[in-house]
Amino acid sequence: MKVGFLIAALACVGLGVYTVPTSILPPSLVDDYFVTFGAQPYLEAPPAIDPEIALIDMDAICPAYLRPWKAAQQIENVAVAASPDCLPDNPWEVAASVLGTNNVTPHTLMQTLFGKDTVEKFDDRDGDGDPDVITIRLEVMELNGRSPDMPDVIPQFEIAPGITPGLWVFAPKGRGMTTVNFESPVANRLVRLPAPVLRVEQGDEIRLVLENTHYLPHTIHLHGVDHPFENANGDGNDGVPIFSEQATQPGDAKTYVFTPRKAGTAFYHCHVQPQSHILMGLQGMLIVEENRPNNWVQTLNIGGGRVRAPSKAVGAIYDREYDLHYADLDEDLNDRIKRYTDPRLVSREIHRKYNIAERTEEFHTLNGRSFPYTLQESLVVVEPDERIKLRVLNGGASGVALHLHGHKSTGTHQDGVPIAAEARAQRDVFWLASAQRLDLDLNTTNDGLNSYGPGAWLMHDHKEQGITTAGMNPGGNIGVLVYGDYLDAHGLPKTVTGLDSIVPYFSPAYYRGEIPVFAGTDPDNRYGDPARPRTWSLRSILFALSILGMVVFLSLAQRAGRRGSL
Amino acid sequence: MIGRAWVLLSMILMVAGLPVFAWAQMDHPKKNKNVDHSDHGMILDREGMVMNHNPDQLPEDCDAVSSDVQIDVRVGTKFARTGLTFGYSQHEWRVAPCSRLNITFVNEDQVRHQWMVHGLPKYLYPQGMFHLEVNGGFRKSASFIVSSDDATLLVHCDISHHMEQGLKGQIVVGGGALDIPGIPGLYAPLFPDKYP
Repeated sequence: MKVGFLIAALACVGLGVYTVPTSILPPSLVDDYFVTFGAQPYLEAPPAIDPEIALIDMDAICPAYLRPWKAAQQIENVAVAASPDCLPDNPWEVAASVLGTNNVTPHTLMQTLFGKDTVEKFDDRDGDGDPDVITIRLEVMELNGRSPDMPDVIPQFEIAPGITPGLWVFAPKGRGMTTVNFESPVANRLVRLPAPVLRVEQGDEIRLVLENTHYLPHTIHLHGVDHPFENANGDGNDGVPIFSEQATQPGDAKTYVFTPRKAGTAFYHCHVQPQSHILMGLQGMLIVEENRPNNWVQTLNIGGGRVRAPSKAVGAIYDREYDLHYADLDEDLNDRIKRYTDPRLVSREIHRKYNIAERTEEFHTLNGRSFPYTLQESLVVVEPDERIKLRVLNGGASGVALHLHGHKSTGTHQDGVPIAAEARAQRDVFWLASAQRLDLDLNTTNDGLNSYGPGAWLMHDHKEQGITTAGMNPGGNIGVLVYGDYLDAHGLPKTVTGLDSIVPYFSPAYYRGEIPVFAGTDPDNRYGDPARPRTWSLRSILFALSILGMVVFLSLAQRAGRRGSL
Repeated sequence: MIGRAWVLLSMILMVAGLPVFAWAQMDHPKKNKNVDHSDHGMILDREGMVMNHNPDQLPEDCDAVSSDVQIDVRVGTKFARTGLTFGYSQHEWRVAPCSRLNITFVNEDQVRHQWMVHGLPKYLYPQGMFHLEVNGGFRKSASFIVSSDDATLLVHCDISHHMEQGLKGQIVVGGGALDIPGIPGLYAPLFPDKYP
């Protein structure tokens, strides 16, 4: 009996050796196995899974109701330039930013989301046809913060599909609800990243009012723009807590007064706990335009991007002007505001528990959003033989290596100061350190140097982390420098593979890593995800049975041996 | 001939003048030279905004105004409860059905605040809301009439995180309906902080 069991166990060993998957053999035995038993039968690789890509809703991406906003139009006496973007700026908000919310008609004001006192313009002190005393009111808003009333964050602002980092922003003083309506948790168009671009005229008296609507103290520091350390009444004016002033408490307001003597591209940001507050989003561009007669500047450029009513000095030289605000976000910092409502707990999370020495950047934005949302509102649209002024700010903690495909542009100003003519460099990559500003002169003359010709040319950070969102590419601060002929009817750049090729990027699943990167351009699904392999093949079943049989027969043999049976 | 022309001119003036006369007879919430707009029930000026002021149009289910209730609400950081940033001077108001509520909203902060009511009949109040918004340091008054149903109406400020930071209340009409969670001093929120 015992011998019989031993023979059966031995047969199982033989079967096991014959059917053993080579994948579990040590590499040194694989050759010996092949020589001894020959090649194993071919196993078909698992098939590819069709990716689940949500159908694109073009009306959600490029809403039809915004089409009338795109045309060049005259609102009151303001010429608002055309904007083919699929999310164009509201033209009445452009006009009200030029004339002042105190000077526009009630009809114009009602087409905006501004309050009556958001931007007030008074007194043509020098008699040159434009106002010289400007009041700008900013509020402090939280986006994607915690709600004690529901599990979702409120008010919501996506920087990319499904990506809602917690944010603090300066917003133009608005009116009404912060959300688009009572049924929606989505923030209205004024409350967004980045803080609005502020545009003033050299020599004007600017009264910048911080109305602290937030639950923590804040200030405004006027970085790189001429301002006195103290106001005429002795109040601090530099926005640095303790050194120039006490931070403005929730519910309080503070007026910064300055009369910039020099033109240039500057920066404004909160200076309370700057390692957190600036990087939470409390930062924006502040541009001082050269003084010219009858120079009504567009005081607010909501969300940056195209300037639809350029100043006299810019308009005299350039065909178009764009404000480009780059930034990066650390999810670990930003999402701390989603944990608590009590300001004491939020403050501890943001100011003491967050350690910037451990900073990583998961998100990279151009004008507050990441690709593909940059396609909707931050395209640099050009035509051949033009000169375009690009004003660039890097408000992030990391540098930006800005690369414009197909063009070599010329740096004209750094940190708001003109670069001497002999020192100006024409390049295709420009490095911007944190807080640096750069003015670029982009020439679209097709001469092999300035431009290589019309196209939809990528415009992105060549520090490759910058073109990712949560590690996924394409994402981050990818934008497009696009000639008019390369725009489709929606105002999106034409792609050689058609609109379908960018559809996957509008899906939150893409940035969760659930959709293969070539999904939109791989009709045969050659690079998709393989299905899970069949767990059991005949060979693997025999191998498993052989192991089981070996154990069973050996134990039976052992039991038979104890009973003394042969 | 001249007489006919005068008759014609008089008729034109009467027809053209009717809307002006009607407008002049309407009860306007505030006749102020700073008032810019009264379209869509909205009054917007440098001090703030009123929407859906309604001192006299009765809800369909009310035969008359049952009572006049004067409500003075103050708002600001000084009214905040512990762990919150802002507060109203009072967070619950109980009124009889078909009451006319005459609200005076006083902002003791230097930033914008709102006293916004939801849940009113939409045929009378666009979007079912009544809205008072006051810039820092100002006050505004307006009225509205509630319907006859027992109801609990949400009052809040919809500036980002002002409701979450304490500007939330309720108007209980008659016997009321379900109480609203997260009213400071009255009811806990659905998702309160877990204090570590």
